[in-house]
Amino acid sequence: MKVNPDLDFIRYMKSAGGDTLKKCYQCATCSVVCPLSTDDKPFPRKEMIWAQWGLKDKLLADPDIFLCHQCGDCSAYCPRGAKPGDVLGAIRAYAYTHYGFPSGLAKMVSSSKNLPLTIGLPALIVLVMWFISGGMRIPTAEAMSQYGFGHFFGHWDWRWLAKNVAFIDLIMVPAFGLAVYAAYRGVSTMWKAMMTQYNVSTVYRPSVNQFIEQFLWPSIKEIIVHTRFNKCGVNVNRVIGHLPLMLAFIALLFVTAYSAFVQDVLGIFYPSLHGPMSMMNPVKMLANVAAIAMIFGVGVLWSNRSAAEAEEGTSATYYDWFLIYEIMAVAVTGLGAELGRLVGVPVLAYFLYYLHLVSVLMLFLYMPYTKFAHLVYRTFAMAFEKYRESEFVGK
Amino acid sequence: MTEQSASGAVLVVGGGISGLTAALEAAEVGNDVFLIEKNPYLGGRVAQLNQYFPKLCPPSCGLEINFKRLNDNRGIRVYTMTSVKSVSGSAGSYEVTCETAPRYVNSNCTCCGDCEEVCAEERDDDFNLGMGKTKAIYRPHEMSYPMKYVLDKDVCSADTLDKIKAACKYDAIDTDMETKTFTLNVGAVVWATGWNPYDPTKMDNLKYNESDAIITNMQMERLAASNGPTNGKILRPGDDKEPESFGFVQCAGSRDENHLEYCSYICCMATMKQITYIRERYPEAPIYVFYIDIRTPGKYEKFREKLMADPNTHFIKGKVADIIPETEGVTVVAENAVTGMKVQQKVDLCILATGMEPAIKSQAAGLGLDVDSNGFVVSDADKGMISAGCAKKAADVVTSAQSATAAALKAIQAAK
Repeated sequence: MKVNPDLDFIRYMKSAGGDTLKKCYQCATCSVVCPLSTDDKPFPRKEMIWAQWGLKDKLLADPDIFLCHQCGDCSAYCPRGAKPGDVLGAIRAYAYTHYGFPSGLAKMVSSSKNLPLTIGLPALIVLVMWFISGGMRIPTAEAMSQYGFGHFFGHWDWRWLAKNVAFIDLIMVPAFGLAVYAAYRGVSTMWKAMMTQYNVSTVYRPSVNQFIEQFLWPSIKEIIVHTRFNKCGVNVNRVIGHLPLMLAFIALLFVTAYSAFVQDVLGIFYPSLHGPMSMMNPVKMLANVAAIAMIFGVGVLWSNRSAAEAEEGTSATYYDWFLIYEIMAVAVTGLGAELGRLVGVPVLAYFLYYLHLVSVLMLFLYMPYTKFAHLVYRTFAMAFEKYRESEFVGK
Repeated sequence: MTEQSASGAVLVVGGGISGLTAALEAAEVGNDVFLIEKNPYLGGRVAQLNQYFPKLCPPSCGLEINFKRLNDNRGIRVYTMTSVKSVSGSAGSYEVTCETAPRYVNSNCTCCGDCEEVCAEERDDDFNLGMGKTKAIYRPHEMSYPMKYVLDKDVCSADTLDKIKAACKYDAIDTDMETKTFTLNVGAVVWATGWNPYDPTKMDNLKYNESDAIITNMQMERLAASNGPTNGKILRPGDDKEPESFGFVQCAGSRDENHLEYCSYICCMATMKQITYIRERYPEAPIYVFYIDIRTPGKYEKFREKLMADPNTHFIKGKVADIIPETEGVTVVAENAVTGMKVQQKVDLCILATGMEPAIKSQAAGLGLDVDSNGFVVSDADKGMISAGCAKKAADVVTSAQSATAAALKAIQAAK
């Protein structure tokens, strides 16, 4: 076999928390102690040698890097301190940047050097839109208690679409659209690479329905009940954090969809539905519970990660911490803005609401390039593993 | 009590193959030598082996020659059951405080064995690494030197002690013996304190405590030795069944930052040697050796080639990281790094190739010794503190004997 090591890749690995990988001497302890590693295709020993050799194309087409939930057993038992768990994390970070589109944006988000730009760009977009909207003024406490943040971007009397909604849509829909497109593009490139690497030839193509029913939905079910997470025995603490966090995201997705439907569709016919929801509304209660669950969940993950770094020597990486800070920012600014509104301090409420919009925009816009991307790449890697074993594939 | 000595005396700590060699080499050129040994017998780890390199001799072979040299030399004083408590002074004049534990058997003992027959109580047989028991009054092993019994008084009832005393025709039992402390004035000290097998229970994933079918390589030596607990038959502890398959787990604790970070040097060759033990008794039984790298330091490549040519001996590149106890035997789990597949191999007897931990590790600092990060003693020839054998580094018998001769030469020079 001709080996063409990619020095840039190795340098990247060193910078992204995978600096220990050269210590690996291929004893394969990791593949045995890993509770998720399979008999016919164990990991992460093979990933370690591919990474040492700089065989990034093999790694980028390897579903196993996404199947790892980084419980850290491999790193704990590693006789050399090579920390395979951290190395796989670094490979995943590399993969998200590699598959990211547009690549400039993906690269920007991947490096802490660009943090001012990473925050500045969405902050500027929201600020400019706020300015253009003409709504950039602090309301009176009475106005805020009546409209909530409904007049943040101002107000017009066109009944079919509220000005506020129009501006939020103008900001979020393109960002969300770009993220969805980038994720689709990344996942399909990854899928093709995996098909080639594992020499998978499709005998007949599954329909979209079949694909969802047989591969995607079972994977999503596993994710929701945390099957694989729970297999990592030492991961109980992380499940305590990750599960409420994930459920909070699902709940808030529902709340957003519900409120958009009620306010912006039904609201056209029943203007009384505009304005902030009552605190006693079950949906609002769900939203508040979700916000608290989000802070709790990300807080647990935060403290777990700090503990792992202090006690087990897990590498502290920008890739891991960026997402934790980002989600914490979304939750804290959102809940803070709500509290500011309830206690009637418009300046504080509006300022926090602005920050909330910025952090939500960051979450959407950067989803395919940050650790948040695991929600699509891991799901599809799990689906690929099912597909690879299925009857659609020539054996 | 103070044992005075002419200048130039050498203290050798440890009576294994390294200490014996160093003591004899120093004494045979005319120096006074004190040889102290913690166990009630000389010979150390070599005495426990079935066979040893380079020629696969039984230990009686090499040790006997050394004991004869010892008997013939009036310059060596031997103290068994003795350990060093403290060291003071400087190069050329050290004062070493030693402590001898009571043996409760004096030099009248002829090893007739009458006392053993009347003794009811038993103790764990540490010479056989816990496999089996001995009577509370015992001879450590059948060629133990000095040829005297030892009494483990603490486990005996007053009645038994009376019976033992009555049974001894030579008035050799002295239950009033006490711990004795004495000082030695010497010019140099050779530390030949040897090694202990690394504690296999520290590798929680290898489940040593959870199955009788998991033994260590030193236990394998005792099973194969004709003076061992099974008279040289290799049987599975617990049920004494003849194993039909064998698995060797290399680097069990060695080359591992969580345990011993260095290569213990001897375990690959020990495993190959033990494969020959198995082959003598079970010519066709499948043997699986799981390794990271097979290392044959010295001149043993041909030996390895011969063993690897055996179609029933399988060498698998991949470290065993999990052992699952079964009702009969165990299943060892590794990833074969060559095929990239996991291997789950059921074997009747599993041998952990545990490594060498320097025996003095925990006490070295208290004795003012310079040790490296792994607990091996670093020699300081100018100070007359010299390490030899496995106190210096993990080594085989040949290397230990060489380093002991070198240590003797340095000690003579420092003690002058």
